[in-house]
Amino acid sequence: MFVMLQTVFPDLSAATPEIFLFIVAMALLMVGVFAPAARAAAVVGRLALLSLVVALVMVLMQDGVKVATFENMFIVDRFAIFMKVLVLIGSALTLLMSGRFFAEMNARKFEYPVLVVLATLGMMMMISANDLIALYMGLEIQSLALYVLAAFLRDQERSTEAGLKYFVLGALSSGMLLYGASMVYGFAGTTQFAALAAVLKGGEVAPGIIVGIVFIAAGLAFKVSAVPFHMWTPDVYEGAPTPVTAFFAVAPKVAAIALFLRVMLEPFGGIAAEWRQVIVFLSVASMILGAFAAIRQNNIKRLMAYSSIGHVGYALLGLAVGTSEGIRAVLVYMAIYLTMNIGTFACILAMRRQGQYVEQIPDLAGLSKRNLPMAIIMMLLMFSLAGVPPLAGFFGKFYVFKAVMEMSALSSGWTVLAVIGVLSSVVGAFYYLRIVKVMFFDEALEPLDLPSGRELGLLMGLAGAFNLFFFPFAGPLLRAAGNAAAALF
Amino acid sequence: MMYVLIVFLPLLGAILAGFFSSVLKDRGSQIVTSGFLVVSALLSWVGFFDFMGGAEPLTVDLASWMQVGDFSVNWALRIDMLTQVMLVVVTSVSALVHIYSIGYMAHDPSIPRFFSYLSLFTFAMLMLVTADNLVQLYFGWEGVGLASYLLIGFWYEKPSAGAAAIKAFLVNRVGDFGFALGIFTLFFMLGTVNFDEIFAAMPGLVGKQFNFLGWQVDVITTASLLLFVGAMGKSAQIGLHTWLPDAMEGPTPVSALIHAATMVTAGVFMVARLSPVFEYSETALTVVTVIGAATAFFAATVGMVQNDIKRVIAYSTCSQLGYMFFALGVGAYPVAIFHLFTHAFFKALLFLGAGSVIHAVSDEQDLRKMGGLAPHIRQTWILMAIGSLALAGIFPFAGYFSKDAILEAAFASGSTAGVYAYWLGVAAAVMTAFYSMRLFMLAFHGRPRAPKEVMDHVHESPKVMLIPLYFLGAGAIASGFLFAGPMIGEAFREFWGPAIYIGEHNEVMEAMHNVPGYVKLLPLLAGIGGILIGWIMYGWKTDLPASLARTHQVLYQFLLNKWYFDEIYDFLIVRPILKLGRILWKQGDGRIIDGFGPDGVSALVVRLARRAAALQTGYLYHYAFAMLIGVAALITYFFYNLGL
Amino acid sequence: MIIASLAFYLFAIMTVGSALMVIVARNPVHSVLFLILAFFSSAGLFVLLGAEFLAMILVIVYVGAVAVLFMFVVMMLDINFVELRQGFLEYMPIGALVAVILLVEIAMVAAAWHFAPEAPEAMAAPLATLGAGHNTEALGNLIYTKYLYLFQGAGVVLLIAMIGAIVLTHRRRPGVKRQDISEQVSRRRDQAVEMKRVEPGQGV
Repeated sequence: MFVMLQTVFPDLSAATPEIFLFIVAMALLMVGVFAPAARAAAVVGRLALLSLVVALVMVLMQDGVKVATFENMFIVDRFAIFMKVLVLIGSALTLLMSGRFFAEMNARKFEYPVLVVLATLGMMMMISANDLIALYMGLEIQSLALYVLAAFLRDQERSTEAGLKYFVLGALSSGMLLYGASMVYGFAGTTQFAALAAVLKGGEVAPGIIVGIVFIAAGLAFKVSAVPFHMWTPDVYEGAPTPVTAFFAVAPKVAAIALFLRVMLEPFGGIAAEWRQVIVFLSVASMILGAFAAIRQNNIKRLMAYSSIGHVGYALLGLAVGTSEGIRAVLVYMAIYLTMNIGTFACILAMRRQGQYVEQIPDLAGLSKRNLPMAIIMMLLMFSLAGVPPLAGFFGKFYVFKAVMEMSALSSGWTVLAVIGVLSSVVGAFYYLRIVKVMFFDEALEPLDLPSGRELGLLMGLAGAFNLFFFPFAGPLLRAAGNAAAALF
Repeated sequence: MMYVLIVFLPLLGAILAGFFSSVLKDRGSQIVTSGFLVVSALLSWVGFFDFMGGAEPLTVDLASWMQVGDFSVNWALRIDMLTQVMLVVVTSVSALVHIYSIGYMAHDPSIPRFFSYLSLFTFAMLMLVTADNLVQLYFGWEGVGLASYLLIGFWYEKPSAGAAAIKAFLVNRVGDFGFALGIFTLFFMLGTVNFDEIFAAMPGLVGKQFNFLGWQVDVITTASLLLFVGAMGKSAQIGLHTWLPDAMEGPTPVSALIHAATMVTAGVFMVARLSPVFEYSETALTVVTVIGAATAFFAATVGMVQNDIKRVIAYSTCSQLGYMFFALGVGAYPVAIFHLFTHAFFKALLFLGAGSVIHAVSDEQDLRKMGGLAPHIRQTWILMAIGSLALAGIFPFAGYFSKDAILEAAFASGSTAGVYAYWLGVAAAVMTAFYSMRLFMLAFHGRPRAPKEVMDHVHESPKVMLIPLYFLGAGAIASGFLFAGPMIGEAFREFWGPAIYIGEHNEVMEAMHNVPGYVKLLPLLAGIGGILIGWIMYGWKTDLPASLARTHQVLYQFLLNKWYFDEIYDFLIVRPILKLGRILWKQGDGRIIDGFGPDGVSALVVRLARRAAALQTGYLYHYAFAMLIGVAALITYFFYNLGL
Repeated sequence: MIIASLAFYLFAIMTVGSALMVIVARNPVHSVLFLILAFFSSAGLFVLLGAEFLAMILVIVYVGAVAVLFMFVVMMLDINFVELRQGFLEYMPIGALVAVILLVEIAMVAAAWHFAPEAPEAMAAPLATLGAGHNTEALGNLIYTKYLYLFQGAGVVLLIAMIGAIVLTHRRRPGVKRQDISEQVSRRRDQAVEMKRVEPGQGV
């Protein structure tokens, strides 16, 4: 006999941007296959960019009322909207800067934009995840697309090696995450975030739950590349094609941080006292390693990998605080981080000598004489990354430290954290300043080509301007981040 | 409005000459600064006669400066008779010096800079004398210090000028430190820096003490003494005087303006301005008297044997400042200011005259290489004679009135310190007259000792230099008998109004008119005697000085070397500090701070960086291993925490 | 009931044992074979749980497709496994230490097994709507309704895997003859046959 289950058709309206992107991805595959081979990649690239922008508009049009759909597995709230906006901006801008690179590497394929769109879809699903399984699904969609992207230059050994390393370690981290999720399910009896929150209201917590959370945190820490789960980052950043590295540095980081925040605060928010130690450890280790290990790097992509590890450390510090103030600081931090990285990678993509892409720091020598505007923008971005006021990067750190210091009234340990943060940012400033020094004071061996391509110039200009004139943006950004953070409490 | 113009026109001139010299050129900057200064001077005189006519003191509020909690400081111009007298002195002398400098500095390559500095100095000095509160006073105080530093080192290519500038600055810092502490003390006790409020609160402070490192010290005495340390630095009183002679490295107009007529009198002005504070401390006043008298005597002795024409006048300045201070010390504030007033004219005259002489003999400053100049530069000769007579205190020149009054006041005070000051003052008066005569004879009379080619070029200065000298000469003659009546006569209270506070028990201003006849006569006789001795030694028996120096070798060397002050300081302070500095530099900074600080830290960072980078082996299983170890460590930590 | 218990222990021991052998076996082919055995025994466990559909799927997909594919790969790749294992002993002690620590900890977690008070009701929730009927139907009912989102998501994962595989491995080699059926079918006579007038005595 046939049993009809009493199910309501899910409310699709909350997920329109995601559904749209999914359909677009499949449609683009068709376009790519049937369009004339010579132009397919360019056409698909442009369409993908357009659809990301459309998805951005659709996200922005959502009103921010908390809606859960698909049997409570998918949630849209202000937090999700804020993070999705960041992710979509990051994806769109990195897509914008990648067309030329692949064209010049003779590796322009229409699958690239499709994979970027699918990865973005995965990130948006991560951000909206309201269930441990949904979380895992989003994570896998994103990760799988990223593995392929990392190995996209399949004829380059470095690229394939990066893809493979990322894949294997990613699988390991997924395993940990799943293991943790299964333990949490085993002890709490549900995978739904809301139900978990109801179960874990504090009080006596089963050790199984905590072990589960540690495993889940480890899996997520891998995605945000927090120490000691960061090991893949330098190798993959270095090996992957530069636009892919740029993509890695922004969109997935933002999405993973969003996921991290939501998982830690919504289902496990009641037992924050238990997991705070983990986050503090990850944060401190990341800040310190990010600062120290970058010093000896000569490859600028590798350096940016360590830089991103360090920055994730600061962001996690805000999560460790766990107040709405702290979360707001994280959101602002990620927004600023996004702009700094987009700008920096635009600069890195502009580093070419006689048509060949170069990525060693000494290659930047004498840039100020060859291309002063780019050198100045790069300098601004480096100062911003180092956290020099009045650039945006300073405010990112400032809000985080402010949130930490507000906690210091409760326990002096927070002050120690803030001090560690400030000290490691001092150490970190060294390698950013070194780049500035190389650009402005070292003698050029052989000058870099002038950057050609409007996209890179535009991105550099935008990022530089945002970081330099952060003040007018500070108010709206803080407000939006405050609203978004409030949605998690 | 008038006062705002007086004060800010020089600033405007300084800015124009300083920043727009490329537009204005030399001539333009001369015209702008001098023009503004002349306007300012004329306005000052207008204001002065206004006050003579009975105008009321006023305060011109300009702007709020700082506002911290209930502490507030305003920019304001406090105009009363004391300010007014200072305004007249400063702007007049400054205007004349500006004009004089047009001639004197004609061949200098950086004229706009010079005039800009001069005007900047004038502005700062005006800020100082119009200050309404201690902080603004300090601002002006430091402003003139800065300008003085810039002007002493104006010829910065000369190492000696640079060194002198630094020396002046550093020695003044000692005084300024005391001054600042004095301000802090008053603020600490009263919570305000405004003059009116401080003065109003003073009676309440009498007898109050506060605890300093276990000592009970009297508040007013402490504050007064600290403030007086500031005055000593700026006014080159004994102990902190060493910078003044060296400051003669600056261009001569600068010496005339800053190091004779105006800036160095800032200390005198400050004590007079704060007379309501000093009046309440007998001890402080005694110290002021003793220091002043000692300076007057000491500087005069040194002045007798110096060979550099400007240094002689510099020591004379030092000595005259000593007179002013002991006048302040005995409570005769109006007399001190009166001497300041007359001294400004004749000392500026002497300096500018000396400048004219130097100009005539091709920038030679050594008196031993002059002589016989009188026939060649007749006008300068006359003017220098006027200045010297005024300085020596010969009737009816200006110095007679003021110096006599000071000595009478000192005697009239009746205190031990006062009598001590009187006798030292008389001795100094003899010496003053002597060295004035000596300078005069060496420079203008006798056999020409300059090389022939120099003598051939000796020429009178241009009109632009002589005209200011005539003005100053008129002042040196007339300022005494014109203003002695109103300023220190019977009606002095009406003249000064509330500007100067004289305590009820302080009768010295009245008593000084009733001293015995010999007291009044002695200073004049001392002056005449000094001149006579000078003439005997340098006009009649010209081999006497040399033989005296030979027979009294020790004394001569002692005086020639300025009582060995510089050497003592060098031994007691400079060398130990240099040694300490070297130790701190090599051992403290180099080994300890750098070793454990920047160098050590950077070495550590490099080591750590190498370690951190070495973690990245590139092997997949290492990475996976790291992740597993991480998870295991975290879980272990939790189990440990849960106590399992 | 005793038979069921016996069967459970049999399958459980076989699963764990063969899984251990997968990583211990020296010959990779043996490893794959043990893997297949592990799959089979877990399928048996599923059957015992009453999840026949999952059991069959496990056998068909994992044994029938995945493991056989593994076997192909292992046999086709010429990898010197002895050499690969050389590093193994070097890291053995510390690896073993970490493993033991983790194992002990997880054992402790298991020992302290107790559900959160609210857990049972939360756990009961997904099964509440499951009606009668057989396994496959019930799964279908759930997958296409309650887990629609995840089902679609899994579809996306597979799509990406497919795209990835094509992007990373597919190469269009020039000069290779391929069969193109539509081209063959749509060929007309005039394209295939060329008429030549051959002059007598001259040859083609």
